[in-house]
Amino acid sequence: MSWKSRISALALALAVLGGGGLTATPSSAQTRTISGAFDVGPGGLQGNFNTLSATSGFTWLMNYFEPLVIYDDKLANVIGALAKSYQVSADQMSYTFNLVDTKWHDGQAFTSKDVAFTIALARNAKSGSVFAARLGNITAVENPDDHTVVIRLKEPTPNLLDSLTKLLMLPEHALAAIPPEQIAKNAWWSTAPVGTGPFRFVKYVTDQYVELAANQDFRDGRPAVDRLINRYFADAAAAISALRSGEIQFTYVEANDVPTFRDNRDYRIIEGGSFVVNYLGFNQEAGLWADLRVRQAVMYAIDREAIIKSLYRGAAKAANCVYADGRLVPADINPYSHDPAKARKLLAEAGWEKINGSKPITVLTYYNAPLTNNVLAAVQSMLAQVGINIVPRAVDTPTYNATVLKVPGNAQDYPLIFAGLQNGPDPSSINPGLNEKQIPPAGVNIARIKMPAVTQALDSALSQTDQAKSAAAYQEVCRATNANLPWATLWVANRYGVASNKLKDFVWMPAPGGGPYQAHPEKWSISQ
Amino acid sequence: MLRYFAMRLLSGAGMLLALTLLIFILTRLTPGDPIDAYLDPNVPLSQEEVNALRTHLGLDRPLPEQYLAWLGEAARGNLGHSLQRFNETVTGLIAQRVGPTLLLMGSGIAISIILGVSTGVFTAVRRDTLPDFALSATALLGISSPAFLTALLGLYVASVRLKWAPSGGLLTPGAEFSAWDLLQHLLLPALLLSIGQAALIMRYMRASMLEVLNQDYVRTARAKGVREFQVVAKHALRNALLPVLTLIGSTIGLAIGGAIFIERVFNWPGMGLLLVSAVETRDYPVIMGATLVIGSCVIVVNILTDLSYALVDPRIKVG
Repeated sequence: MSWKSRISALALALAVLGGGGLTATPSSAQTRTISGAFDVGPGGLQGNFNTLSATSGFTWLMNYFEPLVIYDDKLANVIGALAKSYQVSADQMSYTFNLVDTKWHDGQAFTSKDVAFTIALARNAKSGSVFAARLGNITAVENPDDHTVVIRLKEPTPNLLDSLTKLLMLPEHALAAIPPEQIAKNAWWSTAPVGTGPFRFVKYVTDQYVELAANQDFRDGRPAVDRLINRYFADAAAAISALRSGEIQFTYVEANDVPTFRDNRDYRIIEGGSFVVNYLGFNQEAGLWADLRVRQAVMYAIDREAIIKSLYRGAAKAANCVYADGRLVPADINPYSHDPAKARKLLAEAGWEKINGSKPITVLTYYNAPLTNNVLAAVQSMLAQVGINIVPRAVDTPTYNATVLKVPGNAQDYPLIFAGLQNGPDPSSINPGLNEKQIPPAGVNIARIKMPAVTQALDSALSQTDQAKSAAAYQEVCRATNANLPWATLWVANRYGVASNKLKDFVWMPAPGGGPYQAHPEKWSISQ
Repeated sequence: MLRYFAMRLLSGAGMLLALTLLIFILTRLTPGDPIDAYLDPNVPLSQEEVNALRTHLGLDRPLPEQYLAWLGEAARGNLGHSLQRFNETVTGLIAQRVGPTLLLMGSGIAISIILGVSTGVFTAVRRDTLPDFALSATALLGISSPAFLTALLGLYVASVRLKWAPSGGLLTPGAEFSAWDLLQHLLLPALLLSIGQAALIMRYMRASMLEVLNQDYVRTARAKGVREFQVVAKHALRNALLPVLTLIGSTIGLAIGGAIFIERVFNWPGMGLLLVSAVETRDYPVIMGATLVIGSCVIVVNILTDLSYALVDPRIKVG
């Protein structure tokens, strides 16, 4: 082939590739579509469609599935969703739910049988459900008629409603034929799930996006937009690029990215409490932290206010116990104000030189964000000033879990941990990380804390059935953790989302696990 | 020639076997398994539940048994099922991903060859001129810049600031397929993938051309009155290409590494993204299957590179 003919062939190929006849015709041009990175950030769980194994990702899942009850948009109260109302018996041994009149996306009626089916499946550990333990107190689920469900308990379970907010209802007619042990990884979840929410599932393009379409028959009215698209991103930075380039209208952002959106009228910054308390967990089996004075010294050595001001830019609240919510924090607890001299004195009294001295102490963490690296560097420097030499070690989640959940545990692998644990909106969420009965393999008390005062306060709060006395009971948990310091509690940081100002009536909040909370996706709209 | 080819294939198969064994051992030595990746510290699971999951996934069997079972199935073309995804076969997952990766790598390599060879020849012919200095300095910058920096900078400038290209993905979500849409999504990552390699090829090409242009036969051609374009294109270029060809072949492996990073930054649904997410979630069958396929590709490309010497330079006889 001559040079000329080769050049001609190349030009022809380019013409074919770039030809006008091949121009993309995105269907979004004709339809109203909201695209977002709904599964980016700590509340997201990209690639998980199974609601029974979902520990997060509810921001997206609640657009097409619904629970019986749901938190309101302040995460303050549990209100009805698929249950239009509910009553709790005086002895708190039974809950009666009155169901709404609605249909599944495939046209079948939603009934109390679906509720009973979902709860039975969720309680069956063979299904891979993460609800089996949480729903363990249920003795019976009765459905006297199609629109009434009665849940009976073997003992009062104050956190039942909180658990039910995360249990999304499933259609019996679609799933009953699948054996429970085959349900966890069944293709139904990612190819043809059927819910009752304002949007219905259309398709999942592997690792790229999930598409939902408006549920025309939604009981509260047809959604304002035609489609919702959940774009997948490998990290938050890539999602921010897509937001800035106008390809998506919403994403979660890290706190240190927020200033780049301030004073920009194209975007709205959404800020909210994370309901996650960050802490340094003292591994009680490490032989370093038995003396309370050492744990107190750590608290006094860390200038939490300075870290909050300089690194979190004020968007965090110091935690002097496991809670930071004012109604759960008694006024008279020790504030552990920054006092390095006192920290050195306490360490000297405890004989720190003999306990460990300047030998390096590994701080294991699963946090890998730049902000967290800076926070740990600051903590490292502050502790070094009083004679405690910590060395941060950031690992991925599987490595972290394999290390901290190992039975028997090896305390030398993680004498100290930097982690976070959910402490709200239901304050009992903190129990698995602190209660002596939750030491692995029973639970996730990974610091192996055996403090009778803490366990007793938690047990007492968990068994409190009088709502009026509940806050006081959890104040005692706060008091016990402040006095005994199973952890060096640090702060509860705010989290952020950024939405394009093109979005109208869009509701998002940084709820733990992404919710669920009442977001009314059917009202979301987008201006052109 | 045929015997040589067969021998290379045989040694390649041996290398693949060693590679799978190495990856198997490394994945099992890495802390955490698929269950640990699945667990949430906020959600307690009983030890019985965890053990049942491990048994269900076959993770409680002795390691040699696990490896031999995988190898036996792989030899029959069955790479197993993903442990983390919804019952998808590894073969199916790889089949979905090979195309996008080949497209990205192929485009990146093609761009780097076109850019590298043409600028290499140009700077050699225009030696010690301003364009030569400028292009050589640019190439040095290209070689020195780490892939993560060029990828993120390129994304920020071309997509976020200038809005010339989509910020990621293979196609516009929800849009009907079109070649133009695909090309729009492909161009930026392919260009960024090509930068380092193009710079490398340019420098090799320039050096090789300078050496060839000083050879007697080139001088003879010029003395005979052959036009300069003919001298460069026909007499010098073909001879100067040989060492560059070796370079191109040997950098295919590097291109795969680069593609893995580019795929992650641009959320390009290829083998790299699949492999990285499999490592993060300890999805052993996917890690093994993806490694097998990528390893096979590198070995085959290396064999083809060796064979191509003979086509470019008839003086070389392989085998």
